[in-house]
Amino acid sequence: MLAPRLEASLAPLAARPLRARTNSVARRAAIENCLLAAVPRETYRRLAARLEPVVLTFGEILYEPGDAIGHVYFPGASLVSLLTLADGHLALEVGLIGREGMVGVPLMLGHPVSPVRALVQAGGTAMRMAATDFFREFRLSVPLQDELYRYTHALMAQISQTAACNRFHVVERRLARWLLMTQDRVKSDQFRMTHEFLAHMLGVRRVGVTNAARRLQQRKLIDYRRGNITVLDRDGLEAAACDCYEAVRDMHEGAPTGPATRPATRTATRKLRISAAA
Amino acid sequence: MRRVDLHAREGEETGFCLMNIPTLELPSLLPYAGTCFAARPKKRAVSAACTPSQNHILAALPAEEYERLLPDLESVALPVGSTVYGADERERHLYFLTAGLVARFYVTASGASAEFAVTGREGVIGVAALLGGGSTPSRAVVLNAGHAYRLPSTLLKEEIRHDSALLRLLLRYVHALIAQTGQNAVCNRHHSLEQQLCRWILSCLDRLGSNELVMTHELIAHMLGVRREGVTEAAGRLQHAGLIHCGRGRIAVLDRPGLEARTCECYAVVKRECDRMLPELRRRELYITTRLRPPLFAW
Repeated sequence: MLAPRLEASLAPLAARPLRARTNSVARRAAIENCLLAAVPRETYRRLAARLEPVVLTFGEILYEPGDAIGHVYFPGASLVSLLTLADGHLALEVGLIGREGMVGVPLMLGHPVSPVRALVQAGGTAMRMAATDFFREFRLSVPLQDELYRYTHALMAQISQTAACNRFHVVERRLARWLLMTQDRVKSDQFRMTHEFLAHMLGVRRVGVTNAARRLQQRKLIDYRRGNITVLDRDGLEAAACDCYEAVRDMHEGAPTGPATRPATRTATRKLRISAAA
Repeated sequence: MRRVDLHAREGEETGFCLMNIPTLELPSLLPYAGTCFAARPKKRAVSAACTPSQNHILAALPAEEYERLLPDLESVALPVGSTVYGADERERHLYFLTAGLVARFYVTASGASAEFAVTGREGVIGVAALLGGGSTPSRAVVLNAGHAYRLPSTLLKEEIRHDSALLRLLLRYVHALIAQTGQNAVCNRHHSLEQQLCRWILSCLDRLGSNELVMTHELIAHMLGVRREGVTEAAGRLQHAGLIHCGRGRIAVLDRPGLEARTCECYAVVKRECDRMLPELRRRELYITTRLRPPLFAW
């Protein structure tokens, strides 16, 4: 057994590389999330002190309807679905949050309780912040408020567009839209997904998803094998998707801008600057 | 506050601000243009004498903040069928509704439309002005003639810069709106037309604060995104069960508890989210009762 003194002297050495790694993870994930990347550097520094890097795993439930929101999440490479429930088991995806957003918007709107289920749909990095810390920072920082308000607006548009889309468009086109939205957020051509999960997302029976996926596969737009989806032809998939995809993408890119709205490129430059600083 | 005469004849000089916005081309709204609605706002104007505090959000404000806002509020009539905001139209004002009913809905490229949220005296139109998004891809159309007070977005920005009660209330409303939208989406997907019709009638009546809805089956079909025959059939079943009475483009609710039992849980979920705004509202309601006038809202 090592003497307690030796153990104590080793401790800082052991801790150092770990801390360094955590820091680099933190920085990388922060750059990944567009909201965090878009706030001024001073604001970000203050936020970073409270942010905690986490790895979200596929299928993890962050909140159930009625749960208190303990943390807000800023996804990096991960992807979180917002599902509304009916009768306790019938679900429908109403929102999809990736690197462009934040999970836990109700907290910012003054409700500490989530009205939806937040389900991790693609595992990966994310930053999280305790609700109390977030609330304090949110009240202090005007740039953060502006970014989050704008994001809330885009999320609202996404939810209402999804509602109309679910009503009128056939499964195949909705599946194509969903795959495109997922691809945009995970920034990868390949991701894991089961038919059952997709059925939940689109609010249809599993058979419906299987048939729709087969038709997209026959058109050589995607490859679907053992739960792995690969997007083969993005342009083709965009043509196969309904118009709702374009409308929502435009919202997130800030297409209908006025003098009050910051152009989308600003986020990109800010991102670059932060990465240079890191 | 600018005093206006709501029913001045054309050409008469008043402070009345009529929105120069196109009328909705939904054919189902046309029969209303001259008939049942002509008398409705007039009656309202006489009996209720619109005041901003009829809007639940304004009514919930602390007295001093409410007084500060008053001079900036501009009175606007909302004739039936008019579009408050079109798709991708820049939202320059925040409309606090004091009467009437406004639906927000999407029109898809193929022309199909579906309502995703209705707003009445409990809410505002023009959330994009608040959140800084500029515009929304959906439309807000007046379903039931009413009245609103509007606040320019520039003044709104100033008002909410400091941590105001108005901002807190508006953000809560945004939350309720998001919850309503999401729940309507899942309801449209999984629940029967009859359940949806019940939910829709109940949520409209809550917002109007009345027991009767002036609405044709065709308009309801547009809002729910279904065929008219489906609505007529479902309404027929509800009428047969003695829950509602339909006639001449009006739907009267005869048995509200029965209708509530017939609907899906989505109605209760949305109502709960909306009711969370109430604690602060009650305080103000008390204030109105004691200081200004008896409360007019039944929500």
